[in-house]
Amino acid sequence: MSLIKIEKLKKSYNEASGKLEVLRGVDLEIHPGEMIAITGESGSGKSTLLHMMGMLDSYDSGKIFFSGEQINLKDSELSEFRNKKIGFVFQSHYLLEDFTAEENVAMPKFIATKDFKKSVLDSRQLLKALDMEDRRSHYPSQLSGGEQQRVAVARSLINSPEIIFADEPTGNLDSKHSDELINLLMELNKKQGQTFVIATHSKEIASKMDRCFILENGIIKETSK
Amino acid sequence: MNKIVLFFLKKYITSPKKEWLRFDSVFMVIGIIISVATLTVALSIFEGYESVLKDTILGTNSHIYIFNATNGNLISDDVKQIEEALQQKDCVDNTSAFIITQAMVSNDNRIKGSIVRGIDWEQQQLPSKYKKNVFEGNWQLDSENSAVIGYKLAEELDLQVGDSFKLISPMNSTVTPMGIKPKEEIFILTGLYRSGMYEYDSKFIFVDREKLSNFLSLQNEYTMVEVKLKSDWIEKADYLAYVWEHEFDYKYQISSWIDFNSNLFSLLKMEKWVIFIILSFLILIASFNVVSSVSTSIIEKRTELGILKAYGTSNKILQKIFIGKTMLLALFTVTFGQLLGILIAKFLSWQKFFVLKGDVYFLDKINVQFGITSWIIILAVSMLIVFTASLIPLKSISKLNITNIIRKV
Repeated sequence: MSLIKIEKLKKSYNEASGKLEVLRGVDLEIHPGEMIAITGESGSGKSTLLHMMGMLDSYDSGKIFFSGEQINLKDSELSEFRNKKIGFVFQSHYLLEDFTAEENVAMPKFIATKDFKKSVLDSRQLLKALDMEDRRSHYPSQLSGGEQQRVAVARSLINSPEIIFADEPTGNLDSKHSDELINLLMELNKKQGQTFVIATHSKEIASKMDRCFILENGIIKETSK
Repeated sequence: MNKIVLFFLKKYITSPKKEWLRFDSVFMVIGIIISVATLTVALSIFEGYESVLKDTILGTNSHIYIFNATNGNLISDDVKQIEEALQQKDCVDNTSAFIITQAMVSNDNRIKGSIVRGIDWEQQQLPSKYKKNVFEGNWQLDSENSAVIGYKLAEELDLQVGDSFKLISPMNSTVTPMGIKPKEEIFILTGLYRSGMYEYDSKFIFVDREKLSNFLSLQNEYTMVEVKLKSDWIEKADYLAYVWEHEFDYKYQISSWIDFNSNLFSLLKMEKWVIFIILSFLILIASFNVVSSVSTSIIEKRTELGILKAYGTSNKILQKIFIGKTMLLALFTVTFGQLLGILIAKFLSWQKFFVLKGDVYFLDKINVQFGITSWIIILAVSMLIVFTASLIPLKSISKLNITNIIRKV
């Protein structure tokens, strides 16, 4: 059974120049443990698609199924759903500036369990696994770009989500840190069977994924690697 | 309180960035401090005025007065009956019969109207604070024709302790071949009296009761019996007066200090709350800064809010965090404003540059008092206003679109 299935997903934005149709009926099926790349030009709708699959944004029409069930939740239920089932890694790290690395990583778990001590302990273990243990008490401003993005990955993993959406995760990193991050995601996929959907410009990154899709004119097509 | 909210509040206090020192927060804090301090000063002065006025009135007069119901004087048998009956009562501290009359008082070419009280000064405990209020000279009225007079009256007549003055009673005039001659007698000023209330200090003369009785040609007659109550009963004086009137079978007219002064104290109470309501508008105006400060904070923190929402924090929790931060800051600010207000009020009572006009305000000194009830009321009203103001911008949190935030950064 597919983990995520989307059918005829449409999304448009009202702009001054008129209605801009970003997604014109996207169909996509993602299976557990897969690593998927979504490529396309800037403005092709990669982020929009990821945000809708991650329940961050609404859509005009179409259906999204998660583990076989159509998602139709209220606002408060959506918060809990995102917290427990989905992880996000964005182009910017979006770490909370007033919180240390381990507190940032612990935050989704703390929101879910309200148990700060346990959340921080789990966060330390995760940071240790990502070779970031010695940076756990540092604030985001004290970390390098690569380290910030690793902390953001750790944060997306803390609640053991069923799927992680990564929107241009290497967009702000140099090639060395970019490689390190993609290798880390692939390692997590191999060891833990973690499902990833990665939006990227990079053909090199896309070529490392199990399957690769391209978004053009609001339509998604599977491409060969 | 929710653990997440508590965690964020703790961070808010301990964060090295000191978010509450932001430009707009500082204006919010200053606005609340000034308005709360102003309200506190006004209420302190009102409460102090009310308290000292009550203290002064009760210090000079007693709590209950018993007169003859038929407009005449009380005779010795009446006084004996009253005192015997009242001695049995637990609520009564002590009683004293005295004579009071109006008379003219003159020194050289100066002449003033006065109220002369003939008191039994030898009595161990007088109902009024007579002994305590004599601040210069001697309170004892034992020498021939000695008198204690209010210090304002003494100033107006240019009298000092040891000087003599003439007491003139037109009511005890005698007809002579030369015309009607008011009764006159020379008294020696042996002490100066200060109650703090202008009306008393500029009018009262105290003389020995027997001396005044002779001066007014009274035969074992007294104007009234004054009764001092124990402290627990002072506020119930009007009730006791009502009950005793019945107990004495309406032979005597019994009035309490509340009957004589109820209008004054009702007016003071009403004025105090009118001032409170008017000055509360200052806090209301200061709360506009709360709206602006919380709005700015939401705009500044929108990325963090967006990411917290993405990771499953509900709008309710985020709103509670902002309310908690605002209320925490408001609590410190209001408390500081109250403390500052008390300090300013204390300074006003201590300073000597500005004094009240005694003939207008009864008292010539600014007095301050600040009760726990006023403290709680100011705190509660201020917090309620700040709370209500903080709710207005919080609605925008639920309207924050996560994807817009993530895209724009």
